[in-house]
Amino acid sequence: MIVLRNLVKRYGAVTAVDGLNLEIRSGEVVALLGPNGAGKSTTIDLLLGLARPDEGSATLFGMPPATAIARGKVGALLQSGGLLPDLTVAEIVELTASLHGKARPVPEVLRRAGIADLAKRRIAGLSGGQQQRVRFAMALVADPELIVLDEPTTGLDPEARRAFWSAMHEETAQGRTVLFATHYLDEADAYADRIVFMRAGKVVADGTASQIKGLAAGRTIRATLPGADLAALAALPGVDQAEGRGEAVLLTCHDSAAALRALLAATDARDIEVTGRGLEDAFVALTLEGAAA
Amino acid sequence: MNTTYLRMEVRRLLRNRRVLIFSMLMPAILLLIFGGLNKDQEIGGVSATAYLMVSLGIFGSMSTAIGGGGSIAVERGIGWNRQLRLTPLRPGRYVAIKVMLSLLMTLPPLLIVYVLGAVALDVRLPAGTWALVALGSWLGALPFAALGVVVGYVAKPDSVQQVSGLLYMLLAAFGGLWVPVETMPRLMRDVAELTPAYWVGQVARSPLFHGSLGVHAVLVLLGWTVALALVALSRFRADTARA
Ligand SMILES: Nc1ncnc2c1ncn2[C@@H]1O[C@H](COP(=O)(O)OP(=O)(O)OP(=O)(O)O)[C@@H](O)[C@H]1O
Ligand SMILES: [Mg+2]
Repeated sequence: MIVLRNLVKRYGAVTAVDGLNLEIRSGEVVALLGPNGAGKSTTIDLLLGLARPDEGSATLFGMPPATAIARGKVGALLQSGGLLPDLTVAEIVELTASLHGKARPVPEVLRRAGIADLAKRRIAGLSGGQQQRVRFAMALVADPELIVLDEPTTGLDPEARRAFWSAMHEETAQGRTVLFATHYLDEADAYADRIVFMRAGKVVADGTASQIKGLAAGRTIRATLPGADLAALAALPGVDQAEGRGEAVLLTCHDSAAALRALLAATDARDIEVTGRGLEDAFVALTLEGAAA
Repeated sequence: MNTTYLRMEVRRLLRNRRVLIFSMLMPAILLLIFGGLNKDQEIGGVSATAYLMVSLGIFGSMSTAIGGGGSIAVERGIGWNRQLRLTPLRPGRYVAIKVMLSLLMTLPPLLIVYVLGAVALDVRLPAGTWALVALGSWLGALPFAALGVVVGYVAKPDSVQQVSGLLYMLLAAFGGLWVPVETMPRLMRDVAELTPAYWVGQVARSPLFHGSLGVHAVLVLLGWTVALALVALSRFRADTARA
């Protein structure tokens, strides 16, 4: 459905997307995760044909992105902009619907996006979260087979986020394919069948939420150790990283047993705690790995 | 044809009344000044007030048409054009809608100039001449509507007003809309002929002289329209930058 092959996109000295390969099958719900500047939005631009790759290719439904869009198969919510401030909510959704050959009834889509009560309000007067829901309605109105969302819940309050995802659930129940970029790990964990983790323009991890968590299988050791030599700690066997937290130190380890033995032998560390990691730690670990490399 | 889009554009226009008012203000004021100064004069055997009225009507429709397309720069700035690229709207359609909107926008300045001409400056013309003059001036705005689209793609949102302002002033000054071409020195006339503004002037003023539209001028203007429309289309295709 989405096939990205060896995609490269450079902006001057910055290589925003650096040899990216990704294949997404019909019916999958995929989260695109990664730190700021990882290249998520650029990847989305490339796969929607909003930017031309310097190398490689992007195809949707086996067609060039522009062709797939021309056939009304794609709905998308971009990270920013894209609204005409002097139209009302109902007008801009109606306009978007009219530009697509087949479209769902506007009132139904407004209800789905939770903005039925805002129908007659001008876009310019809406709050950021309300505007975000208008973008969502515009992405849905074409009744697309593929929905691409770039940080769809940024600026939404917790209740609105919940409502957004429950609406998305109903949408995907009808067999839609969804790709969404996000910084909210709980969203990726809860709503995606598959998580693609990007860093510095590359895919560095790809799998289910539990597989990604497993990538950060290492553990964190926390201990009280006044006046610790962080460089020496970082050099201990099994330790990837040592950070100071006041009197305490935080050791990120790939082999916590070896690290623990060495720590006890070499120092007077007290109050030792060893914890496993969640998706958040996986995120941090995957992000840091690149910073160290 | 997507009439919904055109309808929405008209609504937006009616909500931005400032744009409409300014489009009428400038040609109206210029007409009252130049027309008042040249009352009872003749240019090439035609009443100077009628001549100036037609020229300033063109000035009004030209500046409005260029400004109309210029609004694309603002829409690009807020990411609307990227949004449009996510819909099946074809480039040709989009440009056509913008051009049609610009043509609609040129009606108020044309109307105010003709009303002021008839009421304040006592311009009297046969009905057929009025109709041809108005038609020539209105359709003569086509190349400028296309030019406006080009400006909308080339200019930055924060400078587009200055760019289009400079452009229509230059076109008006060198194309003979402020100073009658008949009174220009030879060299300036040669320069004038290089501008589309000159040719709209020739088209729209020809009924004053011989009661019909000049075929040669119409053809030159058509050439300008096609050329500028092609440039506009190529700009739409090239435009993918993130706002
Ligand atoms: N138009 C541009 N001109 C120059 N650099 C750009 C442009 N667009 C993106 N970049 C750079 O490319 C890199 C990737 O940016 P991108 O917006 O794709 O990241 P992202 O993963 O979406 O980040 P975020 O989570 O902050 O939205 C960044 O370093 C960014 O500065
Ligand atoms: Mg982004």
